[in-house]
Amino acid sequence: MAKKNSLLSFLASVKLAVALLIVVAAVSILGTLIPQQDASGPFLARMNPGIASVLLILQLDDVFHSAWFAILMALLALNLIVCSLDRFPRAWRRFRQQGDPERRDVFENLPADLILAVDASPAAAAHRIETLLKKRVGSIKRRETGGQTCLFAQKGAFSHLGVFIVHAGVLIMMAGVMAGPFLGFEGHMNIPEGESSAVVALKGKRGFKNLDFAVRCDRFIMDFYDDGTPKTYRSDLTFLEQGREVQTATVLVNHPVSFGGIRFYQASYGTMPTGDPSLEVIRGDRKVMEVKIAAGKTFPLPESKALVQVLRVEDNFMDMGPAVKLNIDAPGGVVQFWVFAAIDRIAAANPGLLEQVPLFNPASFAPYVFSLTKPEIRPYTGLQAVRDPGVPVVALGAAFLMAGLYLVFFRSHRQIWIRLEARAGKTMIRIAGKSSRNQPAMDRELHNLIKAMGFDRKEAS
Amino acid sequence: MIDAKILSVTTFIYLAAFVLYLLRMVSSRDRWGTWGSAMALTGLSAQTAALIMRWITSYRLGIGHAPLSNLYESLIFFSWSITAVYLFFERRTRNGSLGIFVVPIAFLCMAYASLSPNIDSRIQPLIPALQSNWLVSHVVTCFLGYAAFTVAFAAGGMLLLRGFLERGDIPGGPSVAKTGEKRNDKLSSWQDISLRRRFTSLIPSPAALDELIYQSVVLGFVLLAVGIMTGSIWAHYAWGSYWSWDPKETWSLITWLVYAVMLHARYIRDWRERPMAVMAVIGFISVLITYLGVNYLPGLHAYQ
Ligand code: HEM
Repeated sequence: MAKKNSLLSFLASVKLAVALLIVVAAVSILGTLIPQQDASGPFLARMNPGIASVLLILQLDDVFHSAWFAILMALLALNLIVCSLDRFPRAWRRFRQQGDPERRDVFENLPADLILAVDASPAAAAHRIETLLKKRVGSIKRRETGGQTCLFAQKGAFSHLGVFIVHAGVLIMMAGVMAGPFLGFEGHMNIPEGESSAVVALKGKRGFKNLDFAVRCDRFIMDFYDDGTPKTYRSDLTFLEQGREVQTATVLVNHPVSFGGIRFYQASYGTMPTGDPSLEVIRGDRKVMEVKIAAGKTFPLPESKALVQVLRVEDNFMDMGPAVKLNIDAPGGVVQFWVFAAIDRIAAANPGLLEQVPLFNPASFAPYVFSLTKPEIRPYTGLQAVRDPGVPVVALGAAFLMAGLYLVFFRSHRQIWIRLEARAGKTMIRIAGKSSRNQPAMDRELHNLIKAMGFDRKEAS
Repeated sequence: MIDAKILSVTTFIYLAAFVLYLLRMVSSRDRWGTWGSAMALTGLSAQTAALIMRWITSYRLGIGHAPLSNLYESLIFFSWSITAVYLFFERRTRNGSLGIFVVPIAFLCMAYASLSPNIDSRIQPLIPALQSNWLVSHVVTCFLGYAAFTVAFAAGGMLLLRGFLERGDIPGGPSVAKTGEKRNDKLSSWQDISLRRRFTSLIPSPAALDELIYQSVVLGFVLLAVGIMTGSIWAHYAWGSYWSWDPKETWSLITWLVYAVMLHARYIRDWRERPMAVMAVIGFISVLITYLGVNYLPGLHAYQ
């Protein structure tokens, strides 16, 4: 190859291919030894900070999604493309080139057992062989030249293209794998029974995605075997468009449901508090108000000049369950205290606590008593929501790959040449065969062919 | 349970088959090899029966599933695949030399399955993630692929062993050229050159072993490709993602790449015999890591 093409010939070389495949394998090993993605946090925390920062800079905490892994893949793809373009024309010619029935070189150094001399006339023998080859091989060509009859049969010329189909399959799959995450998304939704949601939390804390429909969880069911092993996780879902029920479906592990181009998988389950906690204000034996609360919210206290502000809202404060901290600004001064949802239980477990620690006493602003109603705990289903337009592409590539492997390894281009000529009252038959893959099998086939011709072997000279 | 009894008997049948193959090698009489393969075939039949019984029993317990769902069952099936694929190649090549390398691996799988205290041999119900029609095709293709790689490993090992035994045994080679004490030194480790010759006399030629490595690697390569694909389809339905770079997935890809490198090097760079044998050994190590090693790494696939 010319000098100016040295880059091209490097990119077309199988040496590069082998080197790249080895590098991909080595990098993949790293990716299984170093904890990846979410698992990398605790691992890196245990490392020496210097090493940890090097790992982070090299993106070794997420090898398979790193920039340089993508570059490696691109290089492999480029290598494959250049190499295939380089070789394809020759393979195409070999595929298109109809075998030459009059080829002579194949009969050079023919072993004696592939040469027969039979009593049948050349025409009769040729006819018999032709019928046989048609049955065994298929397409057949016949030429008469200078007193010789040339027969030629071939099969499987297509196998020369197998390797290109394999490599095309690899390329198509790589394209699908790379494109998927750009065109689609993957995320999670936790939906309590009876509620609906249209928001997917994207994987890797990449924010949220709003769906243009909502998913309602009607029921989440778990079932167990007698020995306690989980048997079934199942969610009954309803899909809603503008509040209208469009479709109901059941999702099981291994049986996802597709709606609006998005697939929903049964991924997890659990319980969670639903709805905002609310605060009740009691004066004497009368409930004077009930408000939904959120941190920062401020409201006037009825029948007084005081202003209540919610300073903090905790799901589980000091391991004592949900609690809010209030700041009450009254003409007589400022009071701050916590209101626990489970105050009755806490007080019973710690006698004298409320008297000693006014900060925990919900009656610290007399004559008012505050009480926090616990949010309701409900089971939820955890659904994985995925849209991956790469999937059909990857599937197509896989089909190419398999078809190509079949052609490469289980098909071969087999060609058989037979020449008949009359000599000394007998018919000389010479038989030659070539296989692109498995010559011993071809030799066996030729011997089987001779047997099937049914000429009396003793006549052979 | 009867199937467990048959399986423990099978373990000993495989041990016996190994001894017979060993006798063939030591005595250089092929007759022992014929007995060895008959013994291996007996073991395979018994194991097949036990697997079927285990399958039927699981239905009787009301948790019916193919016996391919936990480490115990996978070891049994791996051992079954190894013997089946080996006997297939033995029939094709009409040579029982590899038995002394392959059959002990089948035996070790069985012994590990039945003896290790950490392995639960009870029939367990399938957790939801395993309840898939793809489970069977995935596991069967992967293990048949691993078994083909095991045969390639054995052929590679045999090729390397042959090379080791013959080193210095070639006419005009180093040991013949050497004279006096030095030569006697060498012989003291191998009492008699003819004994070495006898060891190698029944081993197929390096070219034949190379062909066997190639054929079994091709079979394994295609089966592993199918195995990875069926696994991906299963993952697509079970986890919503056909590929998650989970350690087991990643290692199966690494294994596949090792053999892809091997096939390319053979086809383009014309690697034959020794380098192919070395690659077959490396590939087999990778298979073992894929199968057992990754259980020590976190992931979706780990056997409990
Ligand atoms: C994962 C990636 C790849 C796979 C699965 C793959 C698969 C294969 C297979 C199965 C064969 C047939 C081997 C045989 O007949 O024994 C082959 C041949 C070949 N491969 Fe690859 N290959 C890959 C990547 C590459 C790359 C990156 C190149 C780049 C140059 C390449 C270049 C070749 C060439 C030149 C041949 C021989 C074709 C011929 O002359 O007939 N391969 N490949």
